Amino acid sequence: MAVTSELSASDVAATTLITVPAMVKLERPMLSRDADGMYWMARYVERAEHTARLLLVNSNLLIDVGDLAEELQARQWQSLLSILHVPELPDGPDIEQRVRSHLAFNPENPNSIISCLTRARENARGIRENISAEMWENLNTLYWSTRADEAPLHLEESPDDLFRSVMTGSMLFQGLTDQTLNHDQRWLFTQLAKYLERTDVTCRIIQIKYDILKSNEQMFDGTLRNLYWMAVLRSCCSIEAYRRNYLGDMDPNRVAGFLILERNFPRSIRFSVSGALAAISAIRSSSRGNVIDPTERILGRLDTQLEYAELSEILTEGISNYLQRIQTAIHEAAIAVQQSYFLQ
Amino acid sequence: MFDNYQADGLFDEVFASEGHPRKHYSSLVSRLKGLGQGTFEKRRRMTDVLFRNQGITFTVYSDTRGVEKIFPFDLVPRIVPAAEWDLIERGLTQRITALNLFCQDIYHGQRILKERVIPPDLIYGAKMFRREMFGVNVPRDIYIHICGTDLIRDKDGAYYVLEDNGRTPSGVSYVLENRAVMKRVFPSLFSAYSVRAVEDYPFNLLQCLKHIAPHHADDPGIAILTPGIYNSAYFEHSFLARQMGVELVEGRDLVVDKGFLYMRTTAGLRRVDVLYRRVDDDFLDPLCFRSDSVLGVPGLMNAYRVGNLALANAVGTGVADDKAIYPFVPDMIKFYLGQETILPNVPTYICARDSDRKYVLEHLHELVVKSTNESGGYGMLMGHQSTKEEREQFAEKIAADPRNFIAQPIVQLSQHPSYVDDHFEGRRVDLRPYILYGQKVIVMPGGLTRVALRKGSLVVNSSQGGGSKDTWVLEEE
Repeated sequence: MAVTSELSASDVAATTLITVPAMVKLERPMLSRDADGMYWMARYVERAEHTARLLLVNSNLLIDVGDLAEELQARQWQSLLSILHVPELPDGPDIEQRVRSHLAFNPENPNSIISCLTRARENARGIRENISAEMWENLNTLYWSTRADEAPLHLEESPDDLFRSVMTGSMLFQGLTDQTLNHDQRWLFTQLAKYLERTDVTCRIIQIKYDILKSNEQMFDGTLRNLYWMAVLRSCCSIEAYRRNYLGDMDPNRVAGFLILERNFPRSIRFSVSGALAAISAIRSSSRGNVIDPTERILGRLDTQLEYAELSEILTEGISNYLQRIQTAIHEAAIAVQQSYFLQ
Repeated sequence: MFDNYQADGLFDEVFASEGHPRKHYSSLVSRLKGLGQGTFEKRRRMTDVLFRNQGITFTVYSDTRGVEKIFPFDLVPRIVPAAEWDLIERGLTQRITALNLFCQDIYHGQRILKERVIPPDLIYGAKMFRREMFGVNVPRDIYIHICGTDLIRDKDGAYYVLEDNGRTPSGVSYVLENRAVMKRVFPSLFSAYSVRAVEDYPFNLLQCLKHIAPHHADDPGIAILTPGIYNSAYFEHSFLARQMGVELVEGRDLVVDKGFLYMRTTAGLRRVDVLYRRVDDDFLDPLCFRSDSVLGVPGLMNAYRVGNLALANAVGTGVADDKAIYPFVPDMIKFYLGQETILPNVPTYICARDSDRKYVLEHLHELVVKSTNESGGYGMLMGHQSTKEEREQFAEKIAADPRNFIAQPIVQLSQHPSYVDDHFEGRRVDLRPYILYGQKVIVMPGGLTRVALRKGSLVVNSSQGGGSKDTWVLEEE
């Protein structure tokens, strides 16, 4: 009370100016449902791309290492399922083939490529008037290319081509999103979604691969270890950037450190968290002015932590634990977005 | 490609007699022949891919899975010369003016009933008559802002009005998309003609919606209300929202508070002043109409009745496109405007009248029987193609609920060449131009030419195997 009574009239005016910035014109707001649609469209496209890349990299790795012990091979395929949160696999003899078709074309599997693209497109269709014709046409074409009758056959004959076309389709979609959409809230929600998804998947890739290595250390001699970690980098689309930094030294800790902490690389966890934070801050300030946003708080703390983190500390804590904490924060952030913006 | 092309005794849009195209078609026909079948086939496949990749689709209710279908597009354009169009334009302007005066009258003084021009029981018996609208003043007294009127041509080539769609007519997006695709696939065909542009329709529609905004709104919030992505016309709703730059909303995005309508946005509630609704009256407001509707907004009718919200089209316009009231449109024109009708009606028997019903029941095999409130080609009997059982069934239905049926002699419809397999064959067509009633009446130069793609069929509805053509209205020479 005492403080308020001491405020002069000009102080009150100044306070009002800060909370309701009359000079800053708030953007035309978007429908909550549309924001929801933009967000999930972008998330599913990103997820389809990761699934395709993981499948591609894994089959290439297995070709490279030749006859890896059968048990380890099965373990490799199994790890993809854990990364992608796929609990069960249909029965059958050939694990490679089963994983591949389950993750690529099984409509029953909500994280298969086809399910992701279907849902991305369904979302896009529901918000068609919010995205550009180029984005829609690209996504629609990509969807139909995996839905065509000959697509499963295509997978048999040259799986690589199919996975590559999904990856480039997603990249093209993201490029079109950046270049044909107004960078207003609509665009910001796609960025938020993309970076949250990327952080989440990247955490799991590192975590699960790192665990496999740790529990089978005696099996991974020099060559095998190199190939294995190269594959992890490839799964995160990071091999060239890593080599440029570290001249191809495949030290597991260094690889993990790069993928987690690299400041300037768009596939690293640090970069992705910053991207998500920037997006949610801009969304908040354009729609609500200076009100505190729970998502922003979670991501802001995470971002600061990553900014000042040191690899040695992470290793002391244990990579797996550290990544688990990041994932928990990311999940909380995703729920907070949902509650503050979509369920109005 | 035009070898063995038959007119089959119908009015043919293109050929005046065998091998002799009408003047306004001659240059198109020679160009098509010049292209050759191979090129034509290639372009046809190109259009299919274009339509699919752009997602220009409609939804069929009976299919459970794979619900989206491409609206089949027929590459040969229909051409309407300037003089013919002039007649259509004047006729449609006259009609929409009279229909609007009629709606205003019916929901206020009812002069037309008091002076015995239309029997009151037909009005009160109309399913789409909304007593909730009685005495309600709608913005600028406009009820039907958007009308899609179906025109057909008989054997002599004369135009008739088959029906007025004054509730939520659809199809205009296909007119615009057809034109866009046509320009991309066959740019060369345009060079011989000066075709009037249709592209400003969304702009005109937006002006029309702004025109009816309530007075309190300087910068009115405008939105399109759609039932959602599973609606057959969802593509169009989204298309128009995009073209006009307005929000596309569903019932769940909206809320009424203290007599105003709002939409839920990421920045909280935002007021909506004008709603172009593509949801039927019945589903608009569960407090006022069907209480099981989840597509509408509770309280919306209140906001509307007190004038805080404008709706296009107004609630209750269904009374004007009821098929048993349609026969009175020429009387309305005479009554309100003191004019003779420019575009004639198809003769119609009203089953609610004893003498008409008797005639209909005796002549079922040569009539088309239609339910008065269905659309999309549902609930129809094509007498000459029906079986004895079907006729008996319909006779029972008519006897049980005569107000619900009308009958018309079978109009043959004109035909137009369509590409079938590797050559051209005649297929029946109709024409749906779109009319906007805002500050002034604007008839879009063109419209949706629908084609009955099945040989011999008279039903052009997209839900019943119809396709469409680009329609070229020519500039004055």
